[in-house]
Amino acid sequence: MRIILAEDNDILRKSLSFFLESKGFTVDQFSDGKDALDAIETNNYDLILTDINMPGKSGMEITQYVRQTINSETPIIILTSSGVEQTELDSFDIGANEFIAKPVSPAVLLVRINKLLKTHF
Amino acid sequence: MNSNFPVPENELQRLAALKRYNILDTLPDNAFDDATKLVSYICGVPIAHISFIDESRQWFKSEIGIGVSEVPREISFCQYTILESEMVEINDTHLNERFKDDPNVTGGFNVRFYAGVPLTTPDGFNIGTLCAIDHVSKELNESQRNALSLVAKHVMAQLEIGTKNIQLDAQRKIAEKAVLARDSFLANMSHEIRTPLNAIIGFTDLLAQTQLDAEQNDFIESVQIAGENLLLIVNDILDLSKLESGSLTIEAAPFNLKKTLKHVYNLLKIKVQKEVEFNLFLDAELPDMVIGDQGRLNQILVNLIGNSLKFTSEGEVIVAVKKMEETEDDITFKFFVRDTGIGIEKSKHKTVFERFTQGEESTTRTYGGTGLGLNIVKELVELQNGEIHLKSELNKGSEFYFILKYKKVQAVESSAKPLLQNNLGNLKILLCEDNVLNQKLAKSVIGSFGFDLDIAQNGEEGIELLSQNEYDLILMDLQMPVKDGYQTTEYIRNEMNSNIPIIAMTAHSLVGEQERCYKVGMNGYVPKPFKQNVLLKAIKTVLNQDNDTPKRYIDMSFLDEMSSGDQEFKKEMISLFIEKIPAQTEQLEKAFHGGNHDAVKKLAHNMKSSLDIFMLEDLSEYAAIIEEQASAGEFTPETRENVNLLLCGVIEVVKILKEL
Repeated sequence: MRIILAEDNDILRKSLSFFLESKGFTVDQFSDGKDALDAIETNNYDLILTDINMPGKSGMEITQYVRQTINSETPIIILTSSGVEQTELDSFDIGANEFIAKPVSPAVLLVRINKLLKTHF
Repeated sequence: MNSNFPVPENELQRLAALKRYNILDTLPDNAFDDATKLVSYICGVPIAHISFIDESRQWFKSEIGIGVSEVPREISFCQYTILESEMVEINDTHLNERFKDDPNVTGGFNVRFYAGVPLTTPDGFNIGTLCAIDHVSKELNESQRNALSLVAKHVMAQLEIGTKNIQLDAQRKIAEKAVLARDSFLANMSHEIRTPLNAIIGFTDLLAQTQLDAEQNDFIESVQIAGENLLLIVNDILDLSKLESGSLTIEAAPFNLKKTLKHVYNLLKIKVQKEVEFNLFLDAELPDMVIGDQGRLNQILVNLIGNSLKFTSEGEVIVAVKKMEETEDDITFKFFVRDTGIGIEKSKHKTVFERFTQGEESTTRTYGGTGLGLNIVKELVELQNGEIHLKSELNKGSEFYFILKYKKVQAVESSAKPLLQNNLGNLKILLCEDNVLNQKLAKSVIGSFGFDLDIAQNGEEGIELLSQNEYDLILMDLQMPVKDGYQTTEYIRNEMNSNIPIIAMTAHSLVGEQERCYKVGMNGYVPKPFKQNVLLKAIKTVLNQDNDTPKRYIDMSFLDEMSSGDQEFKKEMISLFIEKIPAQTEQLEKAFHGGNHDAVKKLAHNMKSSLDIFMLEDLSEYAAIIEEQASAGEFTPETRENVNLLLCGVIEVVKILKEL
């Protein structure tokens, strides 16, 4: 299973990658939203894991682009530290499959990823 | 006077009297409206009014059935009424020579009946009228006429009260201003006096420690006593101004009751005259620790016992404490100070607690004192919800007793802090102080403790010295040229990121000053004139505080979960954190000071994620608040505080992580 992870905080990104890799996933990590989007366009990922606030492109923009421009149904999980309900509503509105508030619990993240991958295939 | 209306002989004085009441063109008033209604009821008329007549018009303070606020004086009926000393009653205007062709009789208000009572001031001027008017002819009976005159009297009384109130209000404002001026004068003066007094007492203490002959020793002792008395007086005055302005606060901290009493006893023992026995009796049931204001208890006792010792030349002075009542939460104590001194006459028992009064006029001459002591004692006792009483007979002695309730110390709190370390070793101290006298004084005192001292003339110089040398502690004067104590501390904490203990030294002792010191990051506070042992204690406290603070525990469980127990990876993440976060903090601070909201928002946001990994909830919360306020585009003092808290926390965490 191949996952793309877009997150601009180095420590969090590296930790998450390390964690997911230790669970058997292949992870491509990006700290810039634009770079991540380029990678999504050229590669086939089984799941997209993205932060909202990032340089380049935001997680919202990535989600919108994937759903509307590429017309892809790849599962998308949005990570955010925003406690605002509207952010969560907006995320689902533009087509995200899951919304996880930071700080992210690795165990919860894993369960959500597995669930999405199962229902998707 | 050239006018087309009759003018009273005393018109000028009459107008002056009217002006005195400040009634013209004022807003409606219920009291007057009620009186007008009363006139209408009494006389059974549709029109009634209370009016005042100035040089050109009749102005209605209150009216029924008229509907205008004023009419020209020359068309009013009342222009004639104010010429009379009695009520004017015109039963039928159509039969009255003067009025039968009046426009307000033939038309206008259609006045057929008119009754007007002049409103006469206590000094005899008719300033207005109270009137009843009808469209039909009418005759009032005797009771109605009497009632009308009575209402007029009441209206006049009402006016008198109004002016008295205005006068009182003005007087009150003047008095309030005077009190305010006096309070700030007292606070400023006592501050100005304390500064040089600080030098006098300090140098005298030092001088006393040098080699002196017997006579010199005697002189020095006199200077010391005089200096300390002067300080007591100045402190009394300062307390008084604080009590007046309500800014004196009562603390609630655990303290040792027995020790406090013994301390006061030992302190005053030296003042006892030869033929007097001085004893302290403590109730066996007295607890060691209670919660309350130790300083204020001290002050009350010193004052009362000091008085007793002063006014007793033979016999005894006894201080005793008894436990009166104990509940689950608190204990009530009765404190006695009893003497066999000169006593106080029964008639003076109340007034001795008043300000500037003493037992006898001659007391001041014979015994000195400000006459403020007992007043302050009473206020202090009452501020602590206690009560104070006096039993005394002239030439037999006095007994003052006061009752105070203290909170009990719960078992947990009694396991007090570990005792102060006595051996501080050889400390290197930096003093920031611009006053040469104070520098010299501090140098000698610090020298006598066996510590090294460097002196900076101002904050700027202090910062320079601090960046060149290692110090254990900074003593900081608050008022300095170039950079004052607050600015310097802020710089040390925020720019230099130093946690060095800082003790404020100040002669201000003003309200809120202490809080301000702690707020900018100082660790201790010593009021000037400082006592050697107070300074030493403050030094010990801040240094111990540093050691006592439990080290922050960093929760790695999140990182452990992420790294699935891989130690190498964990180490890598820790070093990444150590490498990144201090730089980010620095950028954050710069951006904050530069007012760059966007940069602050991004940095705080990014840092938050890193802080979450090490589960630093408090720091993460600071970052969240900073991010939020940066998003709102507004930095407040709260933002600044959170930036400071975040900086301190990051420094601490990085230090701990580096030691791992």
